[in-house]
Amino acid sequence: MTASVVPPKRGRLRAPKFLLAGPSIIWYVLFFVAPIAFIVYYSFGTKDSSKLVPVDMSSPGFHNYSEAFSSTFFTTFKATLRVAVTATLLTVVIGFPVAYFLAFKVQERWRAILLALVIVPSFTSFLIRTVAWRIPLAPNGTLSKWLQDWGVIGGPISLLETRTAVQIAIVYNYLGFMILPLYVALDRIEPVLREASKDLGAGRVSTFMRVTLPLAGPGIAAGVLLTFIPMCGDYVTATVLGGAKGNMIGALIDSEFKGAQNWPLGSAIAVLMILAVLVMLAIGAIVVVGGQWLLRRMRRVDLSDGAPA
Amino acid sequence: MSSSQEPVRILAPSSLRETLSRRALLQVGAGSVGLAALLAACGSDKKSSSGTTATTTANGGSTPTTTASSSAPATSGSTASSTAASTGASTAGTTGGVSGYSEVVNKSSGTLAMYTWGDYNDPSIVGDLAQTDLGVTMKVDYYTSNEDLITKLSTANGSSGYDVVVPTGPYIPQMIQKGLLEKFDKDKLPNLSNVDKLYLGQDWDPGNDYSVCKDWGSTGWMWDSSKVKADIKTWNDFIAAATGEASGNVSVLDTGANVLGMYCWANGIDWNTEKKEDLDAAEKFLVDTFASHIKAFDSYPSTKIAEGAYTLSMAWNGDARQAYSRIADAGGNPDDWKWALGAPNTELWMDNYCIAAGSPNPDAAHAWINWLLTPEISIKDLQYHGYNSGMKGMESLIATLAPDLTLGNMIFFSDDQVKTMRTQKITSAQDRIADIYNKIKAKAGG
Repeated sequence: MTASVVPPKRGRLRAPKFLLAGPSIIWYVLFFVAPIAFIVYYSFGTKDSSKLVPVDMSSPGFHNYSEAFSSTFFTTFKATLRVAVTATLLTVVIGFPVAYFLAFKVQERWRAILLALVIVPSFTSFLIRTVAWRIPLAPNGTLSKWLQDWGVIGGPISLLETRTAVQIAIVYNYLGFMILPLYVALDRIEPVLREASKDLGAGRVSTFMRVTLPLAGPGIAAGVLLTFIPMCGDYVTATVLGGAKGNMIGALIDSEFKGAQNWPLGSAIAVLMILAVLVMLAIGAIVVVGGQWLLRRMRRVDLSDGAPA
Repeated sequence: MSSSQEPVRILAPSSLRETLSRRALLQVGAGSVGLAALLAACGSDKKSSSGTTATTTANGGSTPTTTASSSAPATSGSTASSTAASTGASTAGTTGGVSGYSEVVNKSSGTLAMYTWGDYNDPSIVGDLAQTDLGVTMKVDYYTSNEDLITKLSTANGSSGYDVVVPTGPYIPQMIQKGLLEKFDKDKLPNLSNVDKLYLGQDWDPGNDYSVCKDWGSTGWMWDSSKVKADIKTWNDFIAAATGEASGNVSVLDTGANVLGMYCWANGIDWNTEKKEDLDAAEKFLVDTFASHIKAFDSYPSTKIAEGAYTLSMAWNGDARQAYSRIADAGGNPDDWKWALGAPNTELWMDNYCIAAGSPNPDAAHAWINWLLTPEISIKDLQYHGYNSGMKGMESLIATLAPDLTLGNMIFFSDDQVKTMRTQKITSAQDRIADIYNKIKAKAGG
């Protein structure tokens, strides 16, 4: 005697769960995937300025890529990556102590104010912040004249229209985006872990290197992503402060599109830049993961032969 | 607030802390980036659309220049009455005006969006005066090259939102061909008769169906004689100083044609050359030799000259003229700075008022352009931007309307000087020039 028990049918259909992501999927498809697809598509075309969209797709090929790799463009390419990598490292070096201080050292009642001080500059328009730099740094400006009068510097400030200016400003512009994720990561580390490390005999340095830093890893990763990627495409800083010498790839792509009306070449450079950023991030990830693996191997305590002496 | 209280958490309430995964962390960060971008967008929006909402015309023609408009009904764009009004203007006997000119001012309404070159109109003419005289609220954006303008208009394909644009002559045919410009309704432009015939019917638009001269000018250079001792008389001198004394402190105009022009004029080559060997030689010199001496590509160096950024700058005459007052304003010594018109040959360019295809407010666009062609407004504008606005009888106009004009020799050129000036042509070499120019830019940064 078998009584088949059939579970009652559900009264209504359940919508698939991914529908929750629907709006953002539509948004990204329309405004990210489609434009980028066009950029990739155009990058194989030829310039034809008689058309409204000046691209001729009748004989697609890789010629734009070979031109993008020519020495002149490649120089800007390398310079951009150098500026972005240097700036990312600098934001980590400058931002980490601040985040550490905020998370562990500062009295709790001050913390909100200090955090606000880090965040508030980011609320000012990026462009305005950058343009504002021109005022104190002007070679004929008040600051420049004071410093010369006091004998601090021999000649007028000559920082504007240089790559150094871009390098410094880019660190300043993105520092907040490094400090915040670092702070969140450090703040999540339970104090007991650090106490336990000290209880077990680790010194300050050792606790930092072997407990705090690894636990802050996700924060560093987030910070690097949030700063390195936009830095590579940064256009404002280089245009406003860089002059001819501080030319970065964003400005070059812009001038290919708008100035030269060479959309195919501009697209090819843009595609190469996207790839280069991905490759850089992949290299970074491999170095970090590989490094961790190596460290673990080196520090492994082998218990099979009994406890070490 | 005692320290025993629950700590303040700006980024995450403590109840959420446990759930903050690495991904969530990223989202927090990305959110703040988005917020910043949004705020930045708001900020720039405020900056560009400084005007208030559209105002309908309520004020009668009360200013002295708008004699004709009092006879026109104060509705928007009175086409029908414009002819009658124009005849009325000459007989009306303007108060403080100049006789023999059509001075029709048509009222209009709404917002007028102009896309033009930087700092190219007297602020009141694109501001409160347009509001009081025409009833039009102006919104002005800027571009730095004709290519910039063309790209913006062609990508928008009629929905750019701009009414008035200001392309340079040789670029107009391709803009007409691409359908980027709206044909003039000449009934609404009776003041066209005020323009000197010399500047009407140019090659690019023989019937002035799409364009009318805004102003014309030329190219030369300015240098700080306290830092650069050489007397820079020709383009050859310019190149010598740029690669010598002034190296690293040189700005050049941010257009490929002008940088190529410098090379061509220095070497006695037609700057509209299409010959491959000319362009090859230009590329070799400009990219390999010249580029590394450039500090900036700057179409409006006057502000940065005042900041002290350059010691030698290629400049258009009007911007160079503005530099003198800016240097004085910044506390510098204008007497240190010398100006010279390019020699043995140099550029002659003419910028033109045009109406963009798909203009949201063509009525106001016509009214505004027509207004700019009245002598008073034209000369007022000229005193600001420092370019010859092409009104007929310019000398007597200046004598009557702007007797204390400064540095007039940087605005008006002698016949001998004009003979040395050459108009740009859009040739088959255009792509090559753009290509060379981008290589120069890339090389200058290397």
